[in-house]
Amino acid sequence: MSWISIVWSMNAGACFVLAGVCFVVWCKQTKSWPHLLFSCSAVAAGVIALIELAMLHTNTAGNYTELIRWIHVPVWVLTLSFVAFVRLYLRAGRRWLAWSICGLRTLVLILNFILTPNINFRAITSLRHFSWWGGEMVSVPVGTPNPWCLFSNISLLLLLIFSIDATVTVWRRGDQRRALVIGGSMILGAIVAWHIPLVIWGVIDVPFFLGFAYSGIVLAMGYELSNDMLQTVQLARELETSEANLRESQKRMELAANAAEMGMWMWDIVRDEIWITDKGRALFGFRPWEKLDFNRFRNGLHPDDRETVLEAVETSLRTGAEYESEFRVVLPDGQLRWIAGRGHVEFNGDGQPVRMRGASVDITKRKQAEEQVARQRNEMAHLSRVSTLGELSGSIAHELNLPLTAILSNAQAAQRILANGADLAEVREILSDIVSEDKRAGEVIHRLRQWLKKDKVQEHSLQINEVVDDVLKLIRSDLVNQKVTMDIELARNLPAVSGDPVQLQQVLVNLVVNACDAMTGCKTTERRLLIRTGIENDNSAVVVSVTDRGCSIPEEKIEEIFEPFFTTKSKGMGLGLSVCRTIITAHRGKICATNNPDRGATFHFSLPISSPEKEVLNASHPANMQCFSHGAVRRLGRCRSKSSERLAEVWLDGN
Amino acid sequence: MNTASPTVFVVDDYAPVRRSISRLLRAAGFLVATFASAEEFLAQYDPGAWGCLVLDVAMPALNGLQLQDILVKTRSLLPIVFLTGEGDIPMSVRAMKRGASDFLTKPVDEKDLLAAVRVAIDKHRAWRREQVEASDVRARLAALTPREREVLGYVVAGKLNKQIAGDLGTVEQTIKVHRARVMQKMKARSVAELVRLMERCRINGSVHC
Repeated sequence: MSWISIVWSMNAGACFVLAGVCFVVWCKQTKSWPHLLFSCSAVAAGVIALIELAMLHTNTAGNYTELIRWIHVPVWVLTLSFVAFVRLYLRAGRRWLAWSICGLRTLVLILNFILTPNINFRAITSLRHFSWWGGEMVSVPVGTPNPWCLFSNISLLLLLIFSIDATVTVWRRGDQRRALVIGGSMILGAIVAWHIPLVIWGVIDVPFFLGFAYSGIVLAMGYELSNDMLQTVQLARELETSEANLRESQKRMELAANAAEMGMWMWDIVRDEIWITDKGRALFGFRPWEKLDFNRFRNGLHPDDRETVLEAVETSLRTGAEYESEFRVVLPDGQLRWIAGRGHVEFNGDGQPVRMRGASVDITKRKQAEEQVARQRNEMAHLSRVSTLGELSGSIAHELNLPLTAILSNAQAAQRILANGADLAEVREILSDIVSEDKRAGEVIHRLRQWLKKDKVQEHSLQINEVVDDVLKLIRSDLVNQKVTMDIELARNLPAVSGDPVQLQQVLVNLVVNACDAMTGCKTTERRLLIRTGIENDNSAVVVSVTDRGCSIPEEKIEEIFEPFFTTKSKGMGLGLSVCRTIITAHRGKICATNNPDRGATFHFSLPISSPEKEVLNASHPANMQCFSHGAVRRLGRCRSKSSERLAEVWLDGN
Repeated sequence: MNTASPTVFVVDDYAPVRRSISRLLRAAGFLVATFASAEEFLAQYDPGAWGCLVLDVAMPALNGLQLQDILVKTRSLLPIVFLTGEGDIPMSVRAMKRGASDFLTKPVDEKDLLAAVRVAIDKHRAWRREQVEASDVRARLAALTPREREVLGYVVAGKLNKQIAGDLGTVEQTIKVHRARVMQKMKARSVAELVRLMERCRINGSVHC
């Protein structure tokens, strides 16, 4: 076998192998069109090499003519697929050049089959055999070149320009390696292809070796592919490492989560499926094999907590805010467990929530401790209310006596009127008075019952001015008996605060009783008490103050007075103010006392305004709001400050 | 004055009680005037008015006991029936010592209230009658000459004409004439009646004979 046969066959073989590899890649990744195009062009190059080999060993001009005619088919395929490959793979080369090359090449193919014998020759007269490199005998055609061959040459020229242009673009883009390897081989190939017209015109005397013009590109692509392969291997290795790391961190996370008694979960919102760790299943009382969705989760919640949890979930789905809630779940054995859940919503590109991940933890013990503290606090508050009732009993008896007196006298008056010959109009009036007085007595009883109630604290939204009104009803008679004159200044349009009305009444009653006690030594004309309500300057809290005109508190004791069992009076246990502080602290508020500049002291307490109310406040201009002047409000923040000059001045001016 | 009907003055700061007491008293046939506070009553008080005062104790500003003090100081004869929601013994003792007619607690039964009011009005009537008589006696006394008044003192003391004449350093006959004039001016038919008149005058301690 001659070396020419070996070289040309090897060239063809290399092309086919590369084509095969690229085709396999394309089969695996059907979207990778450059691989298919390259595969096509490599097959075409291989076919060209084989046809050329046949030409070299042809003995008749007729066969040669026929081979030249057919070689245009793989050339056409090669040109088109190669141009498309460059466009897709390198994303370079001008579009109009690409289209022109393809158009011209197609035109050449058509003309090749229309013209006789082909587009290259008008006629092949004979074959010239000569010995080439190392004495191999090769055949080259001798004949008249076909002028239509010009189209083929133009397309070749355009291909060269296209290759240079694409290479420059790639180079400029900064991908110099690719520009050198692929671009360089492309340009080299396009130049080498020029031997064909030169052979045809009889300028040079060599056999056709178009297949080799392509082999540079094949080598370059082979290099690229092996590069890709190397990178893939490296990526795979990295992926393996990171997966191992991921598994490791997952294990660690699970370990930490289990150690923290934490259950991790993920809710696929689109499919409505919940994945949860075993610990989490145990936490919620789900069976290990149970399939979980949101409804199953919802059904496990304590009925009283369902609404709160659903609201929290909805809010985070709507706003993307962190999900956070504390709730009870009913375990299969009927036990209750307190759970705190936190989670984070993930959204897709359209802003739709797709999943939520989070963790839940058992907080039963903490809740029980909290409940116990609250219970003790309430019991103390209740005991204190019961003992305060002793002081208020006179007042309450009086409040009951008044309507009872009116009812009895009215009823007896009516009996007389009826006996005298009825004046129905008057009797009607009497009955209506009796009804309203009876209701009044009922209200007194109701207030009393509320006051003595030992219920759990029921926090709800309330108006502090209403609390003040209720307290006035409780203690009015007491104040009259003690000859204390009460001044009330209630700010209008105060925002609501959250709290237990009875406990807040208790605070105010204690403060008023305290103030009255402080004034027992004063002349009756000087026994004045002022209750004010207002709002802090920064709209953060509602403020209530009770000012008396009695004896001042010694400055060094002004903090001590809220301690349990601190008392300066002969009667009482010294628990009143301490209960006040306990209640106000439980309401997230503050309480403090200050001495007035001339005489007496002022007790202030503040209750925080709930956030939505605050937003409303901040949005609207609080022009119609009677605000505490700066001096009075700031004192809540720094209770030790000297005195309440401003407030006292206002009040004394008022007198 | 005695011919006009007595009025019951009701002072209570709590309107429903005030209304109901007033209705009851009116149904029982009394004339009633109501006041929401001690100050309001004082502002409209006519010392010549007669009847009685039904007075609440616990009231803002001026309370019932203070009003009683003011009335005592002005020598008012208006009897007071106290009506209180929370009366204690020291309070009632203090009120009674200062001449209250009665001290009732709320809620009050009509029987007690009406009885107390009737007693108070009767007292007022009696006091007033005595007062009228006393002033009548005072007018007659005013008509006496100094000498006649001197003689009157001796007569009431039970002295005989002779003794009086001896004490005054005059003759019995002159004393007889004085005595007859005294009896005539005082419209007394006997010495016993004269003594009774003088006593009535003295009972109303405010009068000096």
